[in-house]
Amino acid sequence: MSIKLRIALPILAALAAPVFAADYPEKTIRLYHGFGPGGNADTVARIVAEEMSQGLGQPVVVESKPGAGGTVASDFISKADPDGYSLQLMVGGHSVAAALYNELPYDAKEDFTFISTIGKFPFFAATQAGAFDDMADLVAQAKEKPGSIKIGHAGVGSTQHLSGELLGLLSGAEFLHIPYKGGAAASTALLGGEVDLMIDAGTSTRGQAEAGTFDILGVTSGERWDDATDVPTISETVAEGYDVLSWTGLGGPAGLSDDVVATLSAEMARVMALPSVQEKITALGAKPSASTPEEFRTLVETQIGVWTTVVKDAGVEKR
Amino acid sequence: MLENFLLGLNTVMDPSVFVYAVVGVIIGQLIGVLPGIGAITAISLLLPVTFHLDATTSIIMLAGIYYGSQYGGSIASILLNLPGTPSSVVTCLDGYPMAQKGQAGKALFITATSSFVGSCIGVGIVIMAAIPMSIFALKFGAPEYASLVFLGLLAATMIATGSQIRSLAMVALGIFFGLIGSDISSGAYRFVLIPEMADGISLVSLAMGLFGLGEVIKNIGQKKRRAIDVKITLKDILPSRAEAKGLVGPLLRGGGSGSFFGALPGTGAAIASFMAYAIEKRVSKTPEKFGKGALAGLSGPEAANNAAAQTSFIPTLTLGVPGDAVMALMIGALILNGVIPGPNLMTNEPALFWGVIASFLIGNIILFAINLPLIRFWVMLIRIPYNKLYPIVILMISAGVYSHRNSVVDVIMTLMFGVLGYVLRRYRFEAAPVLLGFVLGPMLEENFRRTMLLYGGDFTVFLTRPICAVFTGLAALIIAFSIFSTVQKGKANRSV
Repeated sequence: MSIKLRIALPILAALAAPVFAADYPEKTIRLYHGFGPGGNADTVARIVAEEMSQGLGQPVVVESKPGAGGTVASDFISKADPDGYSLQLMVGGHSVAAALYNELPYDAKEDFTFISTIGKFPFFAATQAGAFDDMADLVAQAKEKPGSIKIGHAGVGSTQHLSGELLGLLSGAEFLHIPYKGGAAASTALLGGEVDLMIDAGTSTRGQAEAGTFDILGVTSGERWDDATDVPTISETVAEGYDVLSWTGLGGPAGLSDDVVATLSAEMARVMALPSVQEKITALGAKPSASTPEEFRTLVETQIGVWTTVVKDAGVEKR
Repeated sequence: MLENFLLGLNTVMDPSVFVYAVVGVIIGQLIGVLPGIGAITAISLLLPVTFHLDATTSIIMLAGIYYGSQYGGSIASILLNLPGTPSSVVTCLDGYPMAQKGQAGKALFITATSSFVGSCIGVGIVIMAAIPMSIFALKFGAPEYASLVFLGLLAATMIATGSQIRSLAMVALGIFFGLIGSDISSGAYRFVLIPEMADGISLVSLAMGLFGLGEVIKNIGQKKRRAIDVKITLKDILPSRAEAKGLVGPLLRGGGSGSFFGALPGTGAAIASFMAYAIEKRVSKTPEKFGKGALAGLSGPEAANNAAAQTSFIPTLTLGVPGDAVMALMIGALILNGVIPGPNLMTNEPALFWGVIASFLIGNIILFAINLPLIRFWVMLIRIPYNKLYPIVILMISAGVYSHRNSVVDVIMTLMFGVLGYVLRRYRFEAAPVLLGFVLGPMLEENFRRTMLLYGGDFTVFLTRPICAVFTGLAALIIAFSIFSTVQKGKANRSV
């Protein structure tokens, strides 16, 4: 063996050696998400990243790669090295995008490793205070004069929009869907009486309801929601089988080694059990819910199925 | 009311809160000076810090960053024709010509003072009329916004100094850039060549490219900065008595109109400053001086964008609905601290509500106090030769633009807009109307189409709804007036 080889071989061997879980993580982890700073995804990412940095002993840095409903970030992650140093804070929009886009530069199921869900949250159907008796009254009026009830939503193809379309499909009423630039603009429109109904997260509906400006007529989850048990589900009132939950979760590119997934999974379980994290996730209107990788994957796959049907049946323009 | 305000002052003057108010405005000032980096980037980076603070302190600090950045934004505009924030683009128009005449110190003094006065007007309106303003703002539906923005677009053509045809062309170009991205009514993509363009061109890219980088490219051939005689004695910085008198009107008008635009969710400091400029030019007896260093063109818009920064808290604090992304961040910080923003905030959390408002006043006094002595320092920047200064400027622009969306595409676009900015300059087209078209065009489309959707295609809403009728009437007057004056001019000399 030549001297050159004798020197080179151990170096090559070292380079080729697999990354042992014991070594992971040994440098900064980047946690990407597809939305602007300050959005729900960004906030959740920062809450989790702060704790993970301490638990894993390496900095976890949040980076926002907004664009095209989060698909820019998903595309980026799907093509990132599966070494565990590029992770993604995923949201319910991941399943919606898979249903909505004609051609995505990635496969929403196969190109990702799903590690754990973080929070699950329903939407609430809110109207101006006193405008309707209940969900049945609203749907009855919509059936009487098709298109007279206006639903304001956060943008064409948003989960909020598709939730409204699903309400129309399952209740048999015809609504007029009015797009706004984001949920806050839709809230403002409902406050000003420009639209009659909005279906959006608890953070933008429940504060108003407590102040008496909005009435909450229903919740989108299949079962009544834990901390709002007095709110009937949309399913039990006007649209049987209606079940919409959005979520946040931690994922990465496909092909993450089992060791890395195990490390991250265990860390997520630890982080999600922390009272301070649970408090913050709850404050954001979600139920803190860690899961196994398998449960997370099943959730995503089921939702892609549901939204694909909604997009097709409601005739939402694909892009 | 006084009692409430004193409660607020009491909250802010607590040393543990006061420190964060100071930290906030100083970060804001810095962020504003650095081109491209916006308040939103800084606020989101500091969000985790607020996990360890209480709600009141968090909001006071984050708010300080936001309105503090409105002060800093004008500095690079005046010295380098390089807007620190999109709302300080207007400051370039008359501030930079002043700097070139050696009056940078005076321009900086006027913007600092105007910022302070504008802020005070804004804070005053927040204190006295937050609730009525928010109720009025809720009367603004799609038809009102559509007619207001239409009026704004008409005003846009008045901003330029040169011919109206040229500035119309630039407004149209701006509208075209604005239409790139997802159509809000259908979700369909327009001119989206790569996924990064799906959310449209970033305003920061466009502003930094057309103004900052365009200026850099224009001067790139010069080895040495043209010697500008910089005077920084007190006498040169202070405006004369006559000049100061002439600023009272612009300050009041700017502060007033800025307060109005700030309180409307969906319009903000950038639109406020453009509108204030158009108003000043319209009412001025010497509109030909605008764009060449008119003091009114500097102070009106500067008062407006600062007033708007203060009143933009009105919908957030009184209704719990954020008017823009920065306000959404504030709401997020409140929620994380267990405070649910909504119409009850004022009654449930009076110390927070009034503390934040009192902090505006304190913060602005601090900002004013740190800006005045800094003028001397800023003015010295002007002596740095181009070949030393520009590499740093280009690096800062790139980093700033990148920081908004962590997107290399945005940086490349900024470079392309820089080239465009140079070409426009070379052929004496003005860039300001491009920016206004870019901001207002998509707003007009969005609200017009929403109006048509809501009212089943009925055009008469623009005349039957009272607020609309006022805006539509004003727009008609402007059109009639400019046709009249064009015909008159045409008779006098055959050149338009």
